Amino acid sequence: MKLYIKLVSASIRSRMQYKMNFIFSMVSYGVIMMIDFVLLAAILNRFGQIKGWNIYEVGILYAISSISLSLYRTLAPELHEFEKYIIEGEFDSLLIRPVSPLVLLLSKNLDLSRIGGILQGILILCLSLYGLSQEQELIYIAAYLPVILVCGCAISYSLALFTATLAFWTQRIKDFQTFTLYAPFNAANYPMNIYPGWLKMIFFTVIPVAFINYVPMLYLLQKGGSLYFLLLPIFVAALFFYVSLKFWNYGIQFYHSTGT
Amino acid sequence: MIEAHQLRKCFKIYKSKKGTLGSMLSLFSGEYEEKNAVDSISFKINEGEFVGYIGPNGAGKSTTIKMLSGILHPTSGKVTVLGIDPQKHRKKLAQRIGIVFGQRTQLWWDLPVKDSFEILKHMYKIEDRAYQKFLKHYDDLLDIGQFLHTPVRKLSLGQRMRADLAAAMIHNPPVLFLDEPTIGLDIVAKHKIRDFLQEMNKAEKKTVILTTHDMDDIEQLCSRVIVINQGRKILDGTLEKLRTHIGLPSILTVTYEYLPKPNELEGIERAECTGRKCTIVYDRSKISSPVLLREISKWGTPLDIQMTEPDIEEVIQNIY
Amino acid sequence: MVYWLLFRKSFSRNMQYRLSHLINNAASAIFGFVYIAIWSAVLTGKEQNSPFSIMDMTFYMGASQCILWMTVFLTAGLGIQLGVRNGSISLELARPTNYFFYITSQEAGRIGYNALFRSLPIGLIFTITVGFYIPAHLPTYGYTLLSVLLAVGISLNIFYLIGISSCWTTEISWAHFINLTLMFSLGGQMVPLTFLPGPLSLVAEWLPFAGVVYYPVMIFLEKASLSVLLIQAGWFLVLLLLNQWITFLARQKIEIQGG
Repeated sequence: MKLYIKLVSASIRSRMQYKMNFIFSMVSYGVIMMIDFVLLAAILNRFGQIKGWNIYEVGILYAISSISLSLYRTLAPELHEFEKYIIEGEFDSLLIRPVSPLVLLLSKNLDLSRIGGILQGILILCLSLYGLSQEQELIYIAAYLPVILVCGCAISYSLALFTATLAFWTQRIKDFQTFTLYAPFNAANYPMNIYPGWLKMIFFTVIPVAFINYVPMLYLLQKGGSLYFLLLPIFVAALFFYVSLKFWNYGIQFYHSTGT
Repeated sequence: MIEAHQLRKCFKIYKSKKGTLGSMLSLFSGEYEEKNAVDSISFKINEGEFVGYIGPNGAGKSTTIKMLSGILHPTSGKVTVLGIDPQKHRKKLAQRIGIVFGQRTQLWWDLPVKDSFEILKHMYKIEDRAYQKFLKHYDDLLDIGQFLHTPVRKLSLGQRMRADLAAAMIHNPPVLFLDEPTIGLDIVAKHKIRDFLQEMNKAEKKTVILTTHDMDDIEQLCSRVIVINQGRKILDGTLEKLRTHIGLPSILTVTYEYLPKPNELEGIERAECTGRKCTIVYDRSKISSPVLLREISKWGTPLDIQMTEPDIEEVIQNIY
Repeated sequence: MVYWLLFRKSFSRNMQYRLSHLINNAASAIFGFVYIAIWSAVLTGKEQNSPFSIMDMTFYMGASQCILWMTVFLTAGLGIQLGVRNGSISLELARPTNYFFYITSQEAGRIGYNALFRSLPIGLIFTITVGFYIPAHLPTYGYTLLSVLLAVGISLNIFYLIGISSCWTTEISWAHFINLTLMFSLGGQMVPLTFLPGPLSLVAEWLPFAGVVYYPVMIFLEKASLSVLLIQAGWFLVLLLLNQWITFLARQKIEIQGG
């Protein structure tokens, strides 16, 4: 842990040389994501609700999904850009250390500009909770949110790890990321019950984004969930993290570094 | 101490490499060629040896080093380094070996050298006292003190290489793997690094494996040479053995003031003169450069002398 | 013709990656399905209050996912900023070709490629799964083609404008982001402009962003009058002239600096 802090602070120090750029990108990430939600709000404002979910409830789903993804993008930008390590053969330099390459990747960089996305999520979350506070008790939601967010971040990290592992065979992973991260997380911004069966199947199994927000919120917003729905995200996150880690450790032996 | 037995690394070269789906599909269709980058190589290296691991580009030098250090998994065969299986206990081994890749720094690009060292200190869990000793010791040997507070990106290539070497020694490993540590350096920088490596091997009894393209590196440093070509070991022995096997022809080009009068001389393989210009091919094991220079100045008054070192690529090709 | 050559070269350069792009197409279709699902959920039982039926909206989302690849997902700044950073722009400006057409014809090659290997496959996926609109009137095909061409023209000009601005600002990534956001939101990719709140919708309909996604799709769906082609053509001309003028300024600036 001490090593992690040491490494991370080193990376921040080296990034801080480009301050203006940092502020600009932080603001623009936040604004872009915000506008997306404003459009959704415009629709819902006109049509009332979406399959039984009102604007505030969708807002909570939306916020959890985008905070989870932004947390992952803030903490693990190097895993997200993993293909460059494979293409340029830089992965070598992670493998010669007495520390796991995943820890080194995590500590190599923090993408603080993604905090814009987190702030935007928190803003939407607060607005939504405020809107809901007229109707129902929110103490349980607020108390359980940290757990949900940690699980959400873990699930997105696991998905990203799984995708990154593919690079040991395919070198490039950008196209897969659209498939395994961007599209599913965009879908998870909205309640799962609006999707056709086959899409739901995907989001409940192979790309389990439904557990990030939809499943626990079914119970917390009293939409017909049971109490154990609260435990499912923890279980799914742990399972997927374990599977991804196994896959990564399996894939690593297929790494063929580009010879110098 | 370092043992490789029937080591083989086979790369699959897929027919279609372009694009994600392309490589995916060819992965499933199984259409690929197999190429042995390293093919049944065995050797045993004892404590305190300084081994030159040489061969032309693409011969499998780096691939071997990467298998020894646990970066790559061999297709078949067995490796042990310091009694450790590098693939199974990579992290444990990393604590006991030092690696330098000449082409690529392992320091933090934007940070001062000292910060990189401090990160490594934590990574390798080094005590404060040992760390202070390290800084002092390597300032003596490599003069790292003068650029300790400079960001790595602002260092010259020679300084960067010294910093990289020091970084590889921070945990005082008994074994060193050096992949072309002198590549691209000027003569002075090369000298500094050679002296340092000699010191490491002689005084601190470190076992070193060095890959290089530079024949001078090998002559001055290596007690033993392993030559590989196209993944196969073709020679393993002392420097003398390499010499007798291939000879080390060097080339001297001399321009004289007037038409020269060449003489036969022991050690000169060939001397061709066209006009005032002579190209002399000689064997350094039979005649030393100063002696040769003295002799050829008897042929006439030299205006310009150029010495061409034997090219390792050519040398290796000569073995076949 | 040199521009046609540049177009073809750029087209075939992209051909190398067509297989990996097909994977991406599947993901692109999923984005479309998500939007279709949202709209069908929202519109269920409320179709009579809406100018779009669920079917209309399905067609709209399908068509807009296709056109995005021709007008929105272009190269950031058309790559001009790279030339500015490494100085090669002064060489390119000095060539006997028109710099604007030199840059845009290369991007147009990429767009042509996208039309065949991204828009078309994505359209096919929608055709098979949820259906794709087939205009009843023959002239519609001609008008759609014209509208799409104008959309491409507007978009090329906007991206060029952002790219060439790097002569003064050096950093354009934020401008690129803002532009993408505007194209997504005011272009009508997720929400047809009529659904935007009153005043915003009115303003949006007169902005160039509407000409990039919304109008071509609406013409294709036969839901817009042909007068929108005039709005598109107007913006195209204005931006084109603006860019010629700015290229002129950029040339002056670089010639003075470079001397």
